[in-house]
Amino acid sequence: MKVLGITTQQEFYVGSKERNFRINEFLVVEDRQGDLIGEVVEAETFNRYIPLNVYGDFVDASVIESMKALGYDVDEETIYVAKLRLLEEALYPVETGSDVRIPRFSEIKNLMLRTRKEDGLCLGVIRNTDSLYDECEDEFKDLLYTFEERGLVKQRELPYIMDLKSMHHYPHIGVFGGSGSGKSFGLRVLLEELMQKEIPTIVLDPHYEMDFSDCPDYFKDEKRDFNGSFKCLQVGVHVGVKFEDLTAGDLKNLLDASSPLSDAMNNVVDVLFKNKDSYLSFSNRLQALTEAQEEGSVQRIQQKIETAKNNDEKEAWELRKELFMQYDKTCPYNSVKGILWRLRRLYNEGIFSKDSRDIENYLKDGFLVVIQGNTRILQVYSTYLLNNIYHKRREYKDAQYKRVEAPYFPPFIVVTDEAHNFAPKGYDSPSKSILKEISQEGRKYGVFLALATQRPTLLDETITAQLNTKLIFRTVRASDIDTIKEETDITSEEAKRLPYLRTGDVFISSAVVGRTIFARIRAAYTISPHTQNPFDELRQKKDEDDEKFMRIISNKLPISEMDLLNAVMEIERDEKITLAQDELIQKLENLYKKNLIGRESTPFGYRYIKL
Amino acid sequence: MLSINDELKTKLTDLNGEIAKKYSPILNNNLDMKLFLEQNIGTIVTLKKLDDKELARIKEKGGLIAVDGSTNRKGGSFPHYIELYQGLAKSTNPDVDDVYLTDIYTPILSEIKENPLEDVELETDEKNWRLAQIEVKTALESVKKKTPYALVMDGGLIRYTIYAKELWKELVEYCLLNDVILFGTIKDIKTKIIGEEIKNRYEDLKGLIYDREVLFGQLQYKEMLVIYDELNKKEQSGFSSGFLRSSKSPNVIGIDIIEEQRHLLVDMARLVLTLTPENSRGVPLFLDIVDKEVKISDDLIKALLEKYLDRDIYERLFVSERDKRNL
Repeated sequence: MKVLGITTQQEFYVGSKERNFRINEFLVVEDRQGDLIGEVVEAETFNRYIPLNVYGDFVDASVIESMKALGYDVDEETIYVAKLRLLEEALYPVETGSDVRIPRFSEIKNLMLRTRKEDGLCLGVIRNTDSLYDECEDEFKDLLYTFEERGLVKQRELPYIMDLKSMHHYPHIGVFGGSGSGKSFGLRVLLEELMQKEIPTIVLDPHYEMDFSDCPDYFKDEKRDFNGSFKCLQVGVHVGVKFEDLTAGDLKNLLDASSPLSDAMNNVVDVLFKNKDSYLSFSNRLQALTEAQEEGSVQRIQQKIETAKNNDEKEAWELRKELFMQYDKTCPYNSVKGILWRLRRLYNEGIFSKDSRDIENYLKDGFLVVIQGNTRILQVYSTYLLNNIYHKRREYKDAQYKRVEAPYFPPFIVVTDEAHNFAPKGYDSPSKSILKEISQEGRKYGVFLALATQRPTLLDETITAQLNTKLIFRTVRASDIDTIKEETDITSEEAKRLPYLRTGDVFISSAVVGRTIFARIRAAYTISPHTQNPFDELRQKKDEDDEKFMRIISNKLPISEMDLLNAVMEIERDEKITLAQDELIQKLENLYKKNLIGRESTPFGYRYIKL
Repeated sequence: MLSINDELKTKLTDLNGEIAKKYSPILNNNLDMKLFLEQNIGTIVTLKKLDDKELARIKEKGGLIAVDGSTNRKGGSFPHYIELYQGLAKSTNPDVDDVYLTDIYTPILSEIKENPLEDVELETDEKNWRLAQIEVKTALESVKKKTPYALVMDGGLIRYTIYAKELWKELVEYCLLNDVILFGTIKDIKTKIIGEEIKNRYEDLKGLIYDREVLFGQLQYKEMLVIYDELNKKEQSGFSSGFLRSSKSPNVIGIDIIEEQRHLLVDMARLVLTLTPENSRGVPLFLDIVDKEVKISDDLIKALLEKYLDRDIYERLFVSERDKRNL
């Protein structure tokens, strides 16, 4: 391998007649200035005679074969060319003709493996480093498996270890990639590693997929159990908001989450919500006010009081009158009604039936807490929850600084998929303001974000700018590639490769390392509950149904078309299943088509029999 | 904008008419050319490509060596120029190294009289002489290294008998002694064997008629015209020749073989056919490869001269006004 052509201090071409180059591999140039380390950024092969254009002629394969038969192999004229970029600029342009060689592990260890495996998250392997694997220390060997075309493969490249401690300086992580690119899977691996390190983590999971109890078939032998490390909690079922703890601000955030509150509605909450209100007292107050407003005037309410049938009713109307006189001027009827509807909707979703104390306790124990719910509920709930726990952590740290006592709250990481739903660009959403706050000052308090999205373009820019480490999977959309180019140190050559990355291959652009690393995510120890192919599921369900029906009718066969009615009645009596005659025929025909039962013609129509 | 002179247009139209008139017997098809060829010139045969077994046998016997030469000239008009000659012999056998030989010539150092008219001819002679010499030398050296099955020269063989007589004799003798088949392929045929015959029969044909004009489009792909021995003898060159349409292009190429090996002419034609891509200009790929490798690019020559000649000498003698023109 030699340096070719015109060189600069940063970039130049390297050629070889024997060895093909791989993109992102490291090479050492033995220049007069000393050994220089560079990375291959483009690799090409070139043959002077194939596909052939010697003087404009196209060569057909038969001629090449004939020449091979003569002993002359045109393939041997292939030349391999790579563009090498130095990691650090040289003082002078590299001398043309300098020798180039493969580096020894010790020469590039600091570029690849700065972190000990105890201090980092072992996310995968660094691509194209297999030539160095044998030389590397045992500490970095046999840590993981990767998934390749031919199945599960033992580690044979250097591991990629993400430095956890450096998050203190370079806090947040972004995970970008189109659907099917391996993004959710990369997130899963990241979470597995966090669990192994017992880092308190909150995961917002709108897809109900972050469950770590199932183990994939390929890891049956080396099963890892995460059951003591994570907890799935559903909003409204396991966790919620304790209404009594809410402030007017919290409540407004909650009500605001689905669609923004108008000024008048904000005012209604401010005016009508009293500290220590329970859901019941608050909603009753709203209800009473609307009923009073429906009457329209003090006189009419007075009339109601006077015509009340009993004392209870009278008292109730008196209360309404009082509310009406106090609030009617400041709270327009429509706004009060709007607040009431929204409040009821939240209530019906169960948000107010539970509290969030469980989450806090699990976090304190170093658990990974997965909060599940549909996107809308999660938007509402995360706003409240993140505000709540972030400020608890903040109070603790501030108190520490001021040297006063405050209850302990641990640092934690917030992880979410579809982050553009929680912090969209261009319009306000309640969860955005808290995520923004964490992105900007969470570092000081030890609160970090890991945000995954398929549309980085739709993610709030202030937040994107704060993501110091980015995992970039296959991305096809041009606008997203542009955003990625803008926000990372990814080179234009690498950006060109983005649409063609294999699933699970990823560019990791990290402010710690200062350059982009091409890696492959390791095989996950757990599996998402959604991995069954829906078409397999359809077939399976159908087979199950058939089997069930077979069981029901097998002892009632033969059934002839003449006495269907009898069969229907028998089934109803024995199995408590009601079938119409047509339905029964259809089911029998279906079984016959599948060759599970037989059918014979009789003078009175078909007769279904056992096989 | 550029406008075209009317006179030029008229002249070109007239020229087309003249040419059409001259070739009317051939172009008008009132002569069945194929029949004429078979009756008077040679036999037309359809060739088959060599199969893998035959190719393997050639490989076993030492493969094929192809020889080509190139010249480059840098500078202005006589005597202020310098010429570089390079010959390359390349074998299909990967174990045999390529043989490169080079030569340089500049009239500044030779003793040619100052007669510009004569000098032009002498110049060309000098060039042909040196090129032929170097090609034959290269061939000899390569053949002596390892005996091949066949040796193919790029161009007609007659050139070597004129310009490199002694060396050529040595090469032929060596080849005959060692059973090396020696033949040449001619991309641009310049012979007039057929033309002369036609003229003998049709008196109204005037001027020179070249074979390429006659043969254009006459042969089908894979067809070969093997010239009768009597005609070859008439030429007294000591070769047997044939014309072959080796690709779909309507042009034919020529093949010369030394007389002693004339029975192998068709075999060699088949080899040429096998090595020629169907949709090409008709030149065997291997010869194109050799041709490409032997050529020195003008930029390289310039760089070499600039590096190894004193700047004073280089500018004084070899940089012409034309080199500096850049419009």
